[in-house]
Amino acid sequence: MKIKTIRFGEIDIPEEEFILMKGSILGFERLSRFVLLIQDEKTPLWWLQAVDDPAVAFVVVNPRLIKRDYDPLVYESDLEFLDVKDKDDMALLAIVTIRSNPFRVTANLRAPLLINAANRMANQIVLDDPAYQVQFDVLDHRTDFDSQGQDKGRGMEKLARQACASPA
Amino acid sequence: MLILTRKLGEAVNIGGEIKVVVLEIKGNSVRIGIEAPRQVAVHRSEVFEMIQEQNRQAAATSELSLADILGQMQKERG
Repeated sequence: MKIKTIRFGEIDIPEEEFILMKGSILGFERLSRFVLLIQDEKTPLWWLQAVDDPAVAFVVVNPRLIKRDYDPLVYESDLEFLDVKDKDDMALLAIVTIRSNPFRVTANLRAPLLINAANRMANQIVLDDPAYQVQFDVLDHRTDFDSQGQDKGRGMEKLARQACASPA
Repeated sequence: MLILTRKLGEAVNIGGEIKVVVLEIKGNSVRIGIEAPRQVAVHRSEVFEMIQEQNRQAAATSELSLADILGQMQKERG
């Protein structure tokens, strides 16, 4: 399916590669179809582009790349909601906010996107533990950020491979 | 806003699938129980609003390409 985007122009991605929000990204309830785009293989920052709104795209990152011990308690009910049968299929992505003036990059570790890589259904979950910051400073944790690639869950790899459509 | 008075143990139904029960009243705190279908997200309002606002800010990420962003990050590292 051809998707119009303001950042990547028109891209063509098969519908079976869409990520379907079974819950919603809070504040973006009207958007349920997304694609995960890797713009530059060298960076751990990916784009989650809305299929139905050319202007909406989130920068996302595997939270374990910025906080190595990130392993939040995810409720069974959240897993059931996305029909997760094998925990290895579970992938977490943190939504990144980038401000330019002053330059600041933060990741939302409190409300990650939970994705079932097996059926590509997703939801934004809100963790109970307030120790997970909504604005986790990425620049302060750059050492971890540099050592990417060592700790991608299998679920994540699966997603990445399937969604590794480089923008046209 | 609809305002109803409920006693301890009493409940309110919202539509056919949502039920809110008053479980405990202690000082100025009220414990409520909520039964809702899984697709209905239930959050404390202040947390919900904080996440919503953060999502909006994230979506407003400037038109910079990721290469520019990473370049900027390198620069910050000095």
